[in-house]
Amino acid sequence: MLQLDGISAGYGGARVLRDVSLWLPPKSVVALLGTNGAGKTTLLRVASGLLAPTSGRLSVDGEDLTGKRAHTLARSGVCHVPEGRGVFPTLTVKENILIQAAGGDVGEAVERAVSVFPVLGQKLGQLAGSLSGGQQQMLALAHAYVTEADYVLLDEVSMGLAPVVVDEIFEFLGRLADDGRALLLVEQYVSRALELADYVYLMNRGRIEFAGEPGELDSDRLVAQYLGAHT
Amino acid sequence: MRGVCTVNDLLPFLVVGVTTGSVYGLAAMGLVLTYKTSGIFNFAHGSIAAVSAFVYYDLRTLRGLPWPVALGVAVIVVPPLIALLMERVTRSLAAGTVATKIVATIGLQLIVMSALLAGYGGAALDFPGFLPTRTVTVIGVNVGIDQLTSAIVAAACALGFFAFFRLSAMGVRMRAVVDNPDLLELSGTSAFAVRSRAWLIGCWFAAASGVLLAPQLGLDVLLLTLLVVQAYGAAAVGLFSSLPLTYAGGLLIGVLAALATKWVSHSETFAGLPPAMPFVVLFAVLLLVGRGRLAEIGGHRPAPASKPLMSRASARITAVVAVLLAAGVPLVAASKLPVYSSALVFVLIFASLHLLVRTSGQVSLAHAALVAVGSSTFSHLVVGAGLPWLLAVLLAGVVAVPVGMLVAIPAIRLSGLYLALATFGLGLLLERAVYGTSWMFGATNTLPAPRPALFESDEAFYYVLLAFAVAGSLLIALVGRSRLGRLLRAMADSPTTLSTLGLGVNVTRVTVFAISAFVAGVAGALYASQGRSATGAPFLSYTSLTWLTVLVLCAGLRAAGPSLAAVLVAVVPAYLTDGTLAQALPVLFGFGALLVALYEARAAKRRGSGQPLDELDAPQGSRSGERLGVPGPAAQRLTVARRARVARSAPARVRVGTGLAKGATR
Repeated sequence: MLQLDGISAGYGGARVLRDVSLWLPPKSVVALLGTNGAGKTTLLRVASGLLAPTSGRLSVDGEDLTGKRAHTLARSGVCHVPEGRGVFPTLTVKENILIQAAGGDVGEAVERAVSVFPVLGQKLGQLAGSLSGGQQQMLALAHAYVTEADYVLLDEVSMGLAPVVVDEIFEFLGRLADDGRALLLVEQYVSRALELADYVYLMNRGRIEFAGEPGELDSDRLVAQYLGAHT
Repeated sequence: MRGVCTVNDLLPFLVVGVTTGSVYGLAAMGLVLTYKTSGIFNFAHGSIAAVSAFVYYDLRTLRGLPWPVALGVAVIVVPPLIALLMERVTRSLAAGTVATKIVATIGLQLIVMSALLAGYGGAALDFPGFLPTRTVTVIGVNVGIDQLTSAIVAAACALGFFAFFRLSAMGVRMRAVVDNPDLLELSGTSAFAVRSRAWLIGCWFAAASGVLLAPQLGLDVLLLTLLVVQAYGAAAVGLFSSLPLTYAGGLLIGVLAALATKWVSHSETFAGLPPAMPFVVLFAVLLLVGRGRLAEIGGHRPAPASKPLMSRASARITAVVAVLLAAGVPLVAASKLPVYSSALVFVLIFASLHLLVRTSGQVSLAHAALVAVGSSTFSHLVVGAGLPWLLAVLLAGVVAVPVGMLVAIPAIRLSGLYLALATFGLGLLLERAVYGTSWMFGATNTLPAPRPALFESDEAFYYVLLAFAVAGSLLIALVGRSRLGRLLRAMADSPTTLSTLGLGVNVTRVTVFAISAFVAGVAGALYASQGRSATGAPFLSYTSLTWLTVLVLCAGLRAAGPSLAAVLVAVVPAYLTDGTLAQALPVLFGFGALLVALYEARAAKRRGSGQPLDELDAPQGSRSGERLGVPGPAAQRLTVARRARVARSAPARVRVGTGLAKGATR
């Protein structure tokens, strides 16, 4: 289980997260919803070790990893696909996959990446920066499958993509979930995220306001949340 | 036909140029690699070369070890230790401002240089060569085997590294860390580990170039440290990014310098040109290449300097007390009075530098040259043209202004690191190519510089200097508090925001350089007058580096900073009777500047930078908005001030409105 307990974090003097707890059980899909500025991205940054929390505890499968850097967490099975395009634009597709494999067998990694996104197979020698936005996102997402990470954190992976690409990406997320990975989804397509999700967390102004199963989520509350009406 | 060089005439120069250029290229590749991967431009790169050459000298000549052992220690064992240190230091600097990063590595350089000078003396030592010096004939030219070997070794290292960088897994990781260190970490590879490998290679290259160049130059601290400064020019050719082009740049600079030697051999005016060639190239590239192609690496963002140690009120009280104390100095200083006199001149120098560096956040490393221009002009005016003393002093300041504007040209186009490099190049260019000419400091390199007839005595002249120091400091303080000062601080915050507010930054930049140059020029005149002679020796370009570090050391004291800096530079050494301690002083300055830089970078990190802004619920006091164009506090004040002005001059709005309407109907 990827476990965040009583996390507070922020940038400099400004606190963004206040006493947030979130659990991502193995083989489950958790949707993390909230308006812009609620602290979702910051929470993911804490969970993957990019940002050290000021207080609270972060553990993976019972092992306390609070304050460990991102590469340690990545090696403990946490894969964070960041907001924007998570690729190295000046590296070729194949070199990107080499980095994703983190010292593992590159040939096998390329094979796995191409098996989920066949289009990458024709572009192995091409610079990642010259791919289309959708292809770049596929390359970034391939990371999750290449590494066999148990916990995959996905930050707005469908942002700015054509609907048909979004379909393909959600199909991939479904496959990942079926493959036994636990997913933590930050998504703008709320309804699609909820279709996949076993649990939902609702964030507002740096706090968790609701945690439960999608069925328990009051749609009025969700709408109020997204229209920015604060209680 | 006369005047046409045949290929055969040029060939020897080409061969010499290529052999030295190959080593420059190697050094430059190390520099660019570490800059790309860590985002920190290592001004101390040349010091690494010097360290390894001196380690070799120490082990070989002083301790009599066999040369392979000495060479092994100097080139293979020592660099990893330096790399370890560099990685730690630069890791802590990551969140700092551009100025902080520049000052930190300049501090490092000062430490190494001064320590080597203290340990081995300034005179050139004989470097015990390890390669045979017999000559062989290559394409009709006689070349020393040692030179040929160093060129080939350097070329092989460069090629080998390029293959490594392109093809190996670690090479891919190094390129990945240049692209996006966070993403590399998310992929399970420690960015720090990759960077330390890059530092290792960079230090190895620097060390190798040090021992390869030392046999040709002799073992001279300044020369060696400066020689790898040739790498700056080469790095510029590669636009501080491309490794193969950087190596080619090294070759180009080697060849240009060799050819320049041939062409200027009968011309006194341009005698200084060949050694200055790298800076000509550096300056030319920085000025001519499109700004967009010189992207700064490392996510520099403007963060405010850390909180001053003094409140404005206490700084004022300190200033008054300092002036009163200074007025009393002649009563107690006795034979040391000239020391205090020159300290007063330094108050002016540091005040002018303070305006540039601290208020406007622009690092200029050509400041000593401005002072030198002031000195020289003063002598020409008062002795040569017979002008009255006071007029000559003020005109010396005026003449320094165009030179200051020349420095400002790079400032308009470049910022941060590249501005610092361009000004450093310009300073070196002036020093190498102009200081030595007869029209600058005369045939003997010294010009007479009288004092005013009424204030001939040391004591009387001291009070003249005091008056100038107070006036100059007040001028700088007034500028700092005026609208221009607010603009300058806002510019340091975020030039982008300033432009979006409709306030051009170019005029501001030129103005601040002009004011600063004027004060520096006046200081130069007074310096000459105080010493009764004008000469370039005290104003070498390295002096600019020392001044910058000392000023940064005293930065927390606001307006009182320049005065303390002057005391540190001029007064303290005079009271150090112990020679070792006096020599160690620059080492302490370097350490101090490094510590201040590390402290400021840490403070900036605590305040947080580079984070998603939209999740900050309380962005008060945070200036991390450069990328999004969010104005920092100073820019916000300007917005308010501008709104107030617009409100006062309401008709202006109407004009704008009709103008827009016209435009719409057309």
